[in-house]
Amino acid sequence: MREGDFLTRNIAGFTLALEHIVLTEDLSHAAGLLQGLDARVKVLTLPLFIVIVGLARDFPVLIAVFIMALALALLSKVPAAVFLKRLLIFIPIFTAVIAIPALFITPGDPLVTASGRTVITVQGARSAGLLVMRVVDSLSLGLLLIFTTPWNKLLAALRWFHLPSIVIDILGMTYRYIFLLLHTANSMFLSRQSRTVGRFTGAENRRWLGRAVATVMVKSQYLSEEVYLAMLSRGYQGEIYTLSSLALRRRDFIWIAFALAAAAFMIWSIYQ
Amino acid sequence: MHIPDGYLSPATCGTMYVVTAPFWVIAVKRVRKILNHRTVPALALLAAFTFILMMFNVPLPGGTTGHAVGGTMVAIVLGPWAAVLSVSVVLAIQAILFGDGGLTTLGANCFNMAVVLPMVGYYIYKVISGNSEIDSKRRLVGAAVGSYFGLLAGALLTGLELGIQPLLFHAADGTPLYAPYALNIAIPVMAIGHLAIAGPVEAIVTGLVFLYLQRSHSTLLSRQAVQRSEGKLWLIWSGALVLLAFATPLGLLAAGTAWAEWGAEELQELLGYIPRGLQSMSDIWHAPLPDYTIPGTGDVAGYIISAVIGIIAVGFLLWLLGRWISRKGSVKQGSSTSGVSKA
Amino acid sequence: MNSANNSFIYEARDLDYHYPGGIVALKQICFNIKEGELVALVGANGCGKSTLLKLLDGLLFPSSGELLAFGAKLSEKVLETGNLAAEFRRRVGLVFQDPDVQLFSPTVWDEVTFGPLQLGISRDEIVSRANESLELLNITELKERPPYLLSGGEKKKVSLACVLSMRPQVLLLDEPTTGLDPWSQGNLIDFLLQWAGKDKALVFSTQDLDVVEEVATRIIVMGAGHDIVADGRPDHFLSDSDFLLRHNLVHEHSHRHKELVHRHPHLHEHRHEH
Repeated sequence: MREGDFLTRNIAGFTLALEHIVLTEDLSHAAGLLQGLDARVKVLTLPLFIVIVGLARDFPVLIAVFIMALALALLSKVPAAVFLKRLLIFIPIFTAVIAIPALFITPGDPLVTASGRTVITVQGARSAGLLVMRVVDSLSLGLLLIFTTPWNKLLAALRWFHLPSIVIDILGMTYRYIFLLLHTANSMFLSRQSRTVGRFTGAENRRWLGRAVATVMVKSQYLSEEVYLAMLSRGYQGEIYTLSSLALRRRDFIWIAFALAAAAFMIWSIYQ
Repeated sequence: MHIPDGYLSPATCGTMYVVTAPFWVIAVKRVRKILNHRTVPALALLAAFTFILMMFNVPLPGGTTGHAVGGTMVAIVLGPWAAVLSVSVVLAIQAILFGDGGLTTLGANCFNMAVVLPMVGYYIYKVISGNSEIDSKRRLVGAAVGSYFGLLAGALLTGLELGIQPLLFHAADGTPLYAPYALNIAIPVMAIGHLAIAGPVEAIVTGLVFLYLQRSHSTLLSRQAVQRSEGKLWLIWSGALVLLAFATPLGLLAAGTAWAEWGAEELQELLGYIPRGLQSMSDIWHAPLPDYTIPGTGDVAGYIISAVIGIIAVGFLLWLLGRWISRKGSVKQGSSTSGVSKA
Repeated sequence: MNSANNSFIYEARDLDYHYPGGIVALKQICFNIKEGELVALVGANGCGKSTLLKLLDGLLFPSSGELLAFGAKLSEKVLETGNLAAEFRRRVGLVFQDPDVQLFSPTVWDEVTFGPLQLGISRDEIVSRANESLELLNITELKERPPYLLSGGEKKKVSLACVLSMRPQVLLLDEPTTGLDPWSQGNLIDFLLQWAGKDKALVFSTQDLDVVEEVATRIIVMGAGHDIVADGRPDHFLSDSDFLLRHNLVHEHSHRHKELVHRHPHLHEHRHEH
């Protein structure tokens, strides 16, 4: 693999992740519809629709969910371009690659024939379509959640749902330090790129990568020790306490009513 | 290896959450016991590091690239239970924050990559390394080989979960409702992809990091020597059981049913008559999964699912037994002040 | 820890500290610190200033010798759990040099409330203290921000705020002005001077002699041997350029005037005569 590719690909990946984190922070503080709802309500209802997407057996429900998700995104000040771009980046291409062969190899009734032989079956087409729709829907709902809920509010909601507090504490701190380490790793790649003239062999790249990984490991080790001391210094004795600031308002109840009604209708139509 | 939402049916997702949950519970308890107050900062930074590790795009000889998971490496440094917890944290963050891996499939992904992968990898590392020196080549090989097979085990399980979907969950006309490829495609594809690409990537990354640690931070590696032997026993069981689960389809290849597991019908054929006692007894117990099949599915799928469920049930019972035994033992040794043990 | 017994906040007697690997970090450290003092800990990099501050904060414990705080000996056992430990943690606050270490919570608000929440005081009290600390340092608008979106200077301020919200009696600061622009530095100095009081104590490590001059009532100089080479009033030592040079507190630079080479230590007091 060419040296340029190795660095470029990694830098692209890390930069994308960094930008995504900043984007979610920005969007989740905008004055949109979903942003104004209590985190607990969103944590309950959005995954509920993902489950409904899983239960669906045909396209109408799946299409309805996608339209709903898109509408909610727009109402929550998530620009359509941003939303769709994220959708495209994260999975669907991979899924299309997975789904396409299914068109041709799934046994069943012929849909598309060529010279008398069945090329695409009905079952194959449906299967591929269902898979793609499910993936797109689920991802849309997941993005809605993270685009409209700051990470610390999300964790507060999970805490309220009685997820073990030690797990919540770890999730919070991990999130905080991922950005830092992403930045550290990215900087290493960038500085190598700026100093590179000519090419390195694959083996040289791998060795450098090993050192880069080790550098990040050492930094995370250092942080781990020092953060512990910083926590002790301010009285940490095993529990992180938080001020709970979650409060349900009228709009939350309206949303719950709407979500439950929509969900009930979809479930009814699935099992009709 | 991250399975997105939509590839697994809700039933499969639910099952995998149930299967993984005990491991999460045990992992939290175990890690807390060892790390105590350091648990939160240690695990958080470990998870953050693992997250970064999974992002690296690693070049292989020949031009392909891949990503590592690193679960075996974490298990080697901080023990398998810390790996279960930290890799699970990473997978959760990837799923929620980045949409990499689904929310409903988080249970399955955690089982494949946070439980099976590090435990198999760690077990093989221990077996190959034996009692060799911390800085020996043998240990390095153990780490690389362990991580390779750990990843492979996870990949095969993933193939299994995906491959049974069309068999179990399809519309009346045969349309697969979730992952569209049956076991005969899913497993070979996952196997080949990981044997040839992802496996070597994992081995290379694990090997490089291990090598670095051997040279500069060998104390991190020797910490594991202090592990209680109880941990080893658990590993042996887990390793054996996982292997068994995979080997069960081979049983189907063997012609005829296992010796002495004949049901009444088979006996009649063989012997020409049914022993009277057997006949009266055979109606009392109608097994929930008759003939190890799940009604409506193919042979292989049902067989494997039954095996997995059976193994989990047996494993859980064994674990309970182990706990009961060890609690009895500690009561004998414990002083009057020890009282209630902390989680 | 009864401060009525004696007026010393800290008493260090023959402190030695070495890292688990065996590397020496502190050698035979002896000093007393009283209420009302503003102590500057000065020395070249690696002489043990950070380590000493961690010992003063009860995060590390001496390998030999003893350290008393508020009249009681500091040991791992004493600070493990319980009311004594909580009380010590409240009374003494350490601002770490690396803000990324100090700021481990998801948002600034979480960080500033972390300490008070450990004190078991009322919710209203916690909120008011947190707001107060943020206002003191003019960073109220940063409340909801995650730490990775803060600038270096903002991080330093939040680091200070999250310690102040515990209302400590003793403030320990590890290189508080490093990396700050002159304006922020001036603000911080003003703030520290205002914060100080006759029942409080301030101990800060620094490489910047200007800050020492402006803030400190006492200077402790650490040498390359990880021991104390000087302890006393700042003006005694800051004008002794030989002393400063010897202990790497200033650097010497040289420049030419035609064939003449002038060498002199880099001190802002120095008047250059040709």
